[in-house]
Amino acid sequence: MELIKMTNISKYFHHVVALDGVDFYLNKGEILSLLGENGAGKTTLMKILYGMISPDSGEIYYKGQKVNFHRPLDAINMGIGMVHQHFMLVPAFTVLENIVAGAEPSKGIFLDIEKAREEVGELIRRFNFNISLDDKVERLSVGEQQRVEILKALYRKAEVLILDEPTAVLTPTEVDEIFVILDELRKEGCSIVIITHKLKETFAIADRISVLRDGKMIANNVDPKKLSENELSKMMVGREINLGVKRPAKNIGKVRLRVKNLVVKDGGRKKVDNVSFDLRDGEILGIAGVEGNGQTELIEALTGLRRPESMELELNGKKLEGDANTFLRNKIGHVPEDRLAMGLVKEMSVKKNLILGYHREEDFCKNIFLDEKNIEKYAEDLKAKYGIKASHIEDPISALSGGNQQKVVIARTFSRDPDVLIVAHPTRGVDVGAIEYIHGKLLELRDRGKAILLISADLDEVMTLSDRILVLYEGKIVRECQQGELSDVELGLLMTGGNLEMALGGEI
Amino acid sequence: MMEIFNILEIIITSTLRMSVPLILASTGATFSMRSGVSDLGCEGMMIGGAFFGVLGSYIFDNAWIGLLFAALFGMLFALQHAVLHVTFKVNATLSGMSVNLLSAATATLLLQIIWGRHGNSPRVSAFSKIQADWLKKLPVIGEMLAEQNILFYLSLVIVILAWIYMFKTNSGLRLRMVGENPQAANTVGINVVAYKYFGVLMCGLLCGLGGAYLSLGQLNIFVDGMTGGRGYIAIVINAFGGFSPIGSLLGSLFFGFFESLQTIFQGKLIPSNIVRMMPYILTIIVLSIGIRSSKAPAGVGKYHDE
Ligand SMILES: Nc1ncnc2c1ncn2[C@@H]1O[C@H](COP(=O)(O)OP(=O)(O)OP(=O)(O)O)[C@@H](O)[C@H]1O
Ligand SMILES: [Mg+2]
Repeated sequence: MELIKMTNISKYFHHVVALDGVDFYLNKGEILSLLGENGAGKTTLMKILYGMISPDSGEIYYKGQKVNFHRPLDAINMGIGMVHQHFMLVPAFTVLENIVAGAEPSKGIFLDIEKAREEVGELIRRFNFNISLDDKVERLSVGEQQRVEILKALYRKAEVLILDEPTAVLTPTEVDEIFVILDELRKEGCSIVIITHKLKETFAIADRISVLRDGKMIANNVDPKKLSENELSKMMVGREINLGVKRPAKNIGKVRLRVKNLVVKDGGRKKVDNVSFDLRDGEILGIAGVEGNGQTELIEALTGLRRPESMELELNGKKLEGDANTFLRNKIGHVPEDRLAMGLVKEMSVKKNLILGYHREEDFCKNIFLDEKNIEKYAEDLKAKYGIKASHIEDPISALSGGNQQKVVIARTFSRDPDVLIVAHPTRGVDVGAIEYIHGKLLELRDRGKAILLISADLDEVMTLSDRILVLYEGKIVRECQQGELSDVELGLLMTGGNLEMALGGEI
Repeated sequence: MMEIFNILEIIITSTLRMSVPLILASTGATFSMRSGVSDLGCEGMMIGGAFFGVLGSYIFDNAWIGLLFAALFGMLFALQHAVLHVTFKVNATLSGMSVNLLSAATATLLLQIIWGRHGNSPRVSAFSKIQADWLKKLPVIGEMLAEQNILFYLSLVIVILAWIYMFKTNSGLRLRMVGENPQAANTVGINVVAYKYFGVLMCGLLCGLGGAYLSLGQLNIFVDGMTGGRGYIAIVINAFGGFSPIGSLLGSLFFGFFESLQTIFQGKLIPSNIVRMMPYILTIIVLSIGIRSSKAPAGVGKYHDE
């Protein structure tokens, strides 16, 4: 049964065509995977369905009835829930408050927090969520935050669940957990739209695939069983994509960065616990670990953003100390974890963001003034090279799709020829074409002798790119291994605090 | 012995009296900040309340109608802030300051037009001490409480109601969510703009009452500049009190205490000019030390649709 039908939907942002006469439908009880490149219009289409954006033309039908959504509440009341690409949570609220706010159970005008606790508790049991209701959301890992987002929608009794890249920040185990829940929901008759850039996930869970390209729906009814991953990516980006090709390093050079006895404390707890390692020229060193095991603090210490409790850091054999600016000027490039919080200034133009942090360097300055002409040329150049989809370099970052924002961060850092690169989740939220490009770039930089530290929640990414892998668990390095030495299952086990010898022993 | 007790009594009585305008205004500021709107217009809303309270009382010869005027005009100036900042997205500092400037100028101008006077208004009927003999008979605190007027009690009730509203009701949770993350509030179907207007208007109402306390509670005239920056001090108190009504109450008592020292030391020991600087010096101290640990709602100044 067709539950939702959207016909001839168009949306323009000024002169940008985000959606161009798109038809879309969703059947009852199915999981639909909505695919498309960065900036194809996936988020826009779903925000229209959720009443957050009003379309310039087109109609929406829900259960055969024409509907007009003016605000999210209209959609929520119809049983449509949405989990957004960027978290929509209040860090200062508890999990429970976040879930019920806006749809609270009440006694008169008073909040009935006990009833809320019961109702949410019931949901948590039914779907086997693992989360504690009284924790402040600011203390949760991203995986837990994602579960809170899903709970928010379920609590509102969503019959239709829209998930905009829910897995972008999750580890494979966490993805599996979420998929179990989605499967359960499907069995209960819930209809789900899932947006993802990981085709593997599409094949794992979707009943049907729709593909958007440049604001047009180019295929609405693709059966995942009748198509290979390659065919699908070709359909999305119009060319063959080769991901997961291993290219081991050939010329590993001398030690570029030496980290000794790194300890970072946060609120009395040791977040990074006596970590030491060497990073050499021409290698990619991967950090595998479930998010929240010290990665953030490690990155912050190695980029000068945070003063660790103790650390002896040597760059080229010389002691290095100072703030983020010192680190940057010593040619340590940084691709931060959270692009919006740390990587970009949302209100500033694409052009300005492309030189941010490097704006004092010679080629961007004329005496004390910015050399606008040069900057413009530079920005246009990067925009073309990295395929950043923005109608103009003067557009603010906020007008870009999530994946294109990420490309801006990547382009800025990679183009300044750093000797050391600290790269966190470089392909978070970018499409397959761009992943291929970014991976290619990373390998190219490595082959040019750069030392790269790669932190990623995407285990596949770590395993494909890294020449050497450190497994981080509760702030400690629990294992070091070479590329190909351990399987993803083994790594996954180590990442969650398991013991390899014991587990394998048990199997035999 | 008796001497010390007397001094204490005077101090406490005057602390309570000095606190009332601060309690009202800082609780108002709490509403504004919790809805995610910067509260820089407090001073202007207080001036509006002080002046129009007197005008209302002058016209109707009734302090209560004066109070009503104060509330309404406080809200009118708040509306200016809300329209500029919430609807037209003018920077909150600018729109708050515009309120402060406009209301001060309005008061001076109307003093001239209505009464043809500079600096102060004629006397009007005002609030007097509460008439309750049973209160006086309460041990120890009886005398101090009986020295207060009805607005003191009103302000306590307001603080308690505000606290219950903010932390125990559905609507309060939504208000706080708007203040913390307007985008998130929007996505769960909360009418962000309505809540911001509500927060700012409540701020105007309470600041208006706070202003009226100065002109109709402590005195019975309006004097140019009589708010003396209390609107700004209320902003600091609010932050100091962790953006909560109860915190604002406690902070106001703290500041009220230092203001009350004036009454004690006036002309004695320390030069009175120095004593009168106390609240302002305290403000600076609190600004530079006290509010470092207090975290403002994360969504202040943010919009749901950007
Ligand atoms: N608020 C806005 N103002 C201007 N342009 C916008 C705005 N929001 C989206 N766009 C443009 O509309 C197009 C579609 O964006 P959308 O966010 O829907 O892409 P997407 O398919 O979700 O991409 P991604 O995979 O990167 O998240 C993009 O070109 C983007 O730049
Ligand atoms: Mg998107």
